[in-house]
Amino acid sequence: MNRQKLFTLVILALVTGLIGMPGAFAQEAGACNVEAPMEAVELNALGWSFPILDFYYSEIEACDQVENIDINVNQLSGEDVQEQVNLALSAGGDSPYDILSGANGQVADWGGKGWLMPLNDLIDKYRDEYDLDDIPAANWDVGAIDGNIYGVPVIANTLHLFYRSDVLEEMGMMPPETYADVVALCDAIGLDNMDWDAPFGMDLSRPRGWELEFFMVLGGLGGSYIGEGSMPAFNGPEGVQAVEIMLDVYNSCLGEAASSMSNNNMETGMHQGTLPIVKLWASRAAGMSDPDSTDLTDVIDFAPAPRAVEGGPRAGSAWLDFFFIPANTTNDPDLIFRIIMEGVDVASQQQAAIYGIPTRSSAANFGGKYLPAASATLAESVGNYSKNPANDIAVAKLSEFLPLTATGEMSPQEALDAAAAAYTEEATAQGYIEG
Amino acid sequence: MERRIFLGFAGPSIVVMCLLMVMPLIMAIWLGMHFMTFDNVLEPQWVGLRNFAAALGDERFWQSFSFTALYIAVVVPSWIVIGFVVALLLDQVTGLARGVYLSIFLLPFVIVPIVGTIMFRQLFEPSGLLRWLYQELLNERFRYTEQTVKSLILFHGIWYVTPFTLVVYFAGLQTLPQDLMEASGIDGATRLQKIRHIVIPHVRSLTLFILLFSIMDSYRVFDSVFVLTGLNPLYKANTIMTYTYQTATQLERLGRANAMAVLTIIGIMVVLIPNLYLSWKEQIAER
Repeated sequence: MNRQKLFTLVILALVTGLIGMPGAFAQEAGACNVEAPMEAVELNALGWSFPILDFYYSEIEACDQVENIDINVNQLSGEDVQEQVNLALSAGGDSPYDILSGANGQVADWGGKGWLMPLNDLIDKYRDEYDLDDIPAANWDVGAIDGNIYGVPVIANTLHLFYRSDVLEEMGMMPPETYADVVALCDAIGLDNMDWDAPFGMDLSRPRGWELEFFMVLGGLGGSYIGEGSMPAFNGPEGVQAVEIMLDVYNSCLGEAASSMSNNNMETGMHQGTLPIVKLWASRAAGMSDPDSTDLTDVIDFAPAPRAVEGGPRAGSAWLDFFFIPANTTNDPDLIFRIIMEGVDVASQQQAAIYGIPTRSSAANFGGKYLPAASATLAESVGNYSKNPANDIAVAKLSEFLPLTATGEMSPQEALDAAAAAYTEEATAQGYIEG
Repeated sequence: MERRIFLGFAGPSIVVMCLLMVMPLIMAIWLGMHFMTFDNVLEPQWVGLRNFAAALGDERFWQSFSFTALYIAVVVPSWIVIGFVVALLLDQVTGLARGVYLSIFLLPFVIVPIVGTIMFRQLFEPSGLLRWLYQELLNERFRYTEQTVKSLILFHGIWYVTPFTLVVYFAGLQTLPQDLMEASGIDGATRLQKIRHIVIPHVRSLTLFILLFSIMDSYRVFDSVFVLTGLNPLYKANTIMTYTYQTATQLERLGRANAMAVLTIIGIMVVLIPNLYLSWKEQIAER
């Protein structure tokens, strides 16, 4: 059994457990059991913002109450975090950040460049105290390169469908199973229907959104980004077909509304009843059942991600989010690791399960209504990014050229060829491809 | 003035200017001659003028340049005309009302630029007030398209900086010789004639100053484009500054971005030198 399958099975087992009945928390979260250091320590954390990660950061910030510890948490958008980390760590000086959060892609990108600290010794040291074997080995493996574990896996994530069950029922339609079904649903609702912001929401509002969707649809067609010798593999027939599928959805479901379909706006659109169906991150599903966020809790339902083609994998990724420690932190890594672990210990993860999918097996009995859809997507997902360090270049180049297909500036083949040429030039210059 | 005394006074500022302006410029030229990404920051690779040639041959660099030129062409005259007209109107108001009006007009300029731009964008988000109004009045959805985004950037630029020109003109109008205005009134000059023959020549040097400042400032427009477009290529609304930034941070071509920054400085100088020359001639004439 290869690692990818093993990882998928572990995630599946974990989320299947999560579907179980919610129970009482084993212990109260929010406490910080770290001893006060002798001298004042200021720790800076940098990461994205979404409900479950916000919760973990609030748990980490509980350590701010400990004498001599001052924690500053900076939460930005994904692109902004990447930019800040690039600027802060690329020159090799002292890191201004002590705690970073990111996903699979950052393991290969930041870890591969030597910007992250291997955590193996700290994991061994605190294995029993924080019950680290409670996090499945396959999850740790995703955060590792050549045996060095760079990240503490804390969130499993994927994209799946959120839909208005009353609307689909009235139309006599089922949640779409493939992208062709999505297009048919959009045609039935109508792109110019004034009742809705758009017939279907998908994050094509930003260049990176195009790349992410392409990764999933390409995976659903059996394609991949990088081939042998780190040569580009995304511009073959599968790549072209993947872009064509995306453009079908773009033209039938989004059109000019695409630029407003950010993750935040789609979440708000579902809350406010201005979108009938969206493809969105599982980590944003918890709010759909929160009466403080929306009056539509009874009619918002969830379904697995659509497939690129009938019988293929689901166009949803199997993502993990991690906490990292930069290699050049000027503070005590032992203290930093313990503070991270206080934020993601058993009690914290059990409580976090109401916001998203935690990684501990012991959090398996806690969770929300969306978990069957998330688990079904994960079970048949396209997996996650390759750990090839050149993957990051492919991501950047595809983000640069794919949106140009929507304006007609480039055909799918032209955009992919342009991305492949730019990727090859840069990957060669950086030594990933032999010149 | 003796050279020694001149250098004694001017020396400190020359040193500071060299450290803060000349050195970074030389550094940018040097870095522009290297292939550099975030992976090889410590060991960039010498490529000579290749980055400069690549930037000049990059279609999107010229697309950014043309939108920057459009921005300057629309926004700078608007700043001058609207600022001047509002200053004239404000000059007619007296007492407490003048202070109240001035405070209101100055509000956009007082708000932190990025915060002001984010608030501006919020008005057009799906739950935003202006978006709702647009839909109610026109019975059609407001969409972010190339045209609407570019229009919003231009409108934001006018809204945000006009208060500055208003204040400059308003201050200039306070020094207007009243005896001249009264004499022209006695001679039968109409209001428009007074503005044309007395007020406009009086604020001529201010206009030149505003023109210089405005061209320089609008050439560097960044905040509004960054927030309103998210640097999405779909809108084709990059300016020279945002495209340089995008090239450096998102496309990770640091060397090429430095080359583009140097080309931008050259561009600004080409636009400004004629204006600086005019300003210099003006000053000589006044002496």
